[in-house]
Amino acid sequence: MFRQLRARFGGPLAASILALLGMWLIVMVTLPQLQMIEYSLRPNLLPAQIGGPEDQLTLANYVTLFNNEIHRAIFFKTLWSSVLVTLLTLAVSYPLAWYLAKVATPRQAALCLLLLIIPFWINEILRTYSWFIILAFRGPLNEVLLMLGLIDRPIRFLNGDAGVMVGMVYAYILFMVFPVYNAIESLDDNQVRAARDLGAGTVRTHWRIVIPHAKPGIATGCIMTFMLAAGSYAVPALLGSPGSRWFTQIIYNWFFEGGNWNQGAAYAFLLLVLCIGFMSLVMKVFKVGLGDIAK
Amino acid sequence: MDGSVRLDEVVMRFGDFTAIDKTTLEIGSGEFFSFLGPSGCGKTTLLNIISGFLVPSEGQVFIGGEPVAGVPVNRRPTAMIFQNLALFPLMTVFENIEFGLEVRGVDKRKRREVSERLLSLVALEGSGSKKVTELSGGQKQRIAIARALAVEPRVLLLDEPLSALDLKLRQHMRAELKAIQRKTGITFIYITHDQGEALTMSDRVAVMSAGRIQQVAEPRTLYRSPKTGFVAAFVGENNRIETRVIDRDGACVRLDGGALGQLAGRAGEGSTLANGEATALFVRPEYLRPVSEADACPKFAVTIEAVHFEGAWVMLETRLDASGELLRVQLGTELSRRHVEELVPGKSVWFGYDPEDAVVLPDDGGPVVDEATGEVVEASRSGAAHV
Repeated sequence: MFRQLRARFGGPLAASILALLGMWLIVMVTLPQLQMIEYSLRPNLLPAQIGGPEDQLTLANYVTLFNNEIHRAIFFKTLWSSVLVTLLTLAVSYPLAWYLAKVATPRQAALCLLLLIIPFWINEILRTYSWFIILAFRGPLNEVLLMLGLIDRPIRFLNGDAGVMVGMVYAYILFMVFPVYNAIESLDDNQVRAARDLGAGTVRTHWRIVIPHAKPGIATGCIMTFMLAAGSYAVPALLGSPGSRWFTQIIYNWFFEGGNWNQGAAYAFLLLVLCIGFMSLVMKVFKVGLGDIAK
Repeated sequence: MDGSVRLDEVVMRFGDFTAIDKTTLEIGSGEFFSFLGPSGCGKTTLLNIISGFLVPSEGQVFIGGEPVAGVPVNRRPTAMIFQNLALFPLMTVFENIEFGLEVRGVDKRKRREVSERLLSLVALEGSGSKKVTELSGGQKQRIAIARALAVEPRVLLLDEPLSALDLKLRQHMRAELKAIQRKTGITFIYITHDQGEALTMSDRVAVMSAGRIQQVAEPRTLYRSPKTGFVAAFVGENNRIETRVIDRDGACVRLDGGALGQLAGRAGEGSTLANGEATALFVRPEYLRPVSEADACPKFAVTIEAVHFEGAWVMLETRLDASGELLRVQLGTELSRRHVEELVPGKSVWFGYDPEDAVVLPDDGGPVVDEATGEVVEASRSGAAHV
């Protein structure tokens, strides 16, 4: 890599690019993570006790999660809900990506992409609040449904997980649409035509031709959405009910309310392991490598 | 199994652009029928109309005598071979061939039987488990054919399937396609801009230009008796000479060639040539032969400009002494050997022809020729014949 960079930019510039990259990776990513791990392996002590006889390496912080039934339930609920969010986002994004890539004229596609992107100019908290308003008990959605006569009395959307699901699908849709769109876009139109010509209907054409081709894109989108969903804080905090707490909220509480950074670090690290584990699983199931995803 | 195809006054418009002008045509069951024309002439559009990918703006398509309007692509008794073949790259050869059967719910054992049989038809036994990406160009070609045949189409539509192959393989595949067509008895509708392909394989050829069929005929007839100036210029090579009718005796027309003197030719089939009418005389390079000034046949005085040795023949580029226009002459090696001393650049010689071999057609102003490639791309607007 250095040789390529040097050929293009010359020695000193190439060296500084690599140095900056290395700094970024080491100072901003690796070291803080290592420190987190270090924190997670030590007990929560008063400043005076640090360095004292009680300051021993221990797995106690990790054990907490397995002994605390509520936290454990929330941990797995977060996992399961994130999978659900990922699948929902895929279900919404796939038809959209197909439309953008193969059906829409360039003008329509450009317009549609613009409409998708504009909301993302507003920050995530405000976007999520807008859903809070839309989904409220006396909010516009209930009003409209009542007016159309589809329901008799308002629905409490924000009571269970529904609000969180809607908010997350909306928040992460672009991370799914773009990779899937890119993958479908590269499919030769004649592949679809050939499948049709040989007698395949719409569903089979997608199942046998389009989806297998778009697999790396789908896997990329799923991994990104899952990671973001599992690590999300704002959406469950704003749209979730007390019954639909997210694991990130517990981590937050350990850090900033419980004042127990060591415990929080252990929880955060477990979530990280979970995400990496899920990512490897998805890659294995879809038979895609890291190289496919980087495309 | 009736694989006949009939187009009844089919018109295809895209916005203001008329891709196919009112076209009526009958293709017999089991026929090897080609559409020949330059790119943009509408031949691929016609193929898409037959396959169902396009719905004609006007007119009707019949397959096996039944109208197919409203029948979607996946329910038509046709199968298409795409220009880029469009094999499914993520599937094996077996899976590719069996795709159409899988769609139809044929069980696995039966499917395998069919694909084995088709693999032997295209002489690729034993390569069923390979990935299609492992195959060579010619092998892919054959798998595409097998995949299309697996659904037992009544009509096979081929969209320039050989254009990606190199010359040798292309020639080999021509023979193979023809053989497969004969063996299966399926109607083949073949699209090409390569006249060699159209002439060698087809039972009949429709020559198209600018959305219109210029002529439908057997290859020999097409070559020997073109009906329009476009066909004369597009199929094979032709020297076009502007003339005027003096008089006509049956098929034989006497012509006034202006400075070229008196010429003669055979009236194009079905053409009404009035005395004094402006006409174009088409003489193929291979029908010209060296003559002496005393010979009675129609002839041209020319000066040789260049001699191209092509192996089996010699192509001469000459200029008509009277008008300075180009006249191409093709001589078999034997003729050229006999005249080897006269046939050198700078020499003035006479070339004559048998009036039977030259076709006289109404002057349509000449075809449109692509300046860059020298290829005929379009018939002149004024004289396109209606079939």
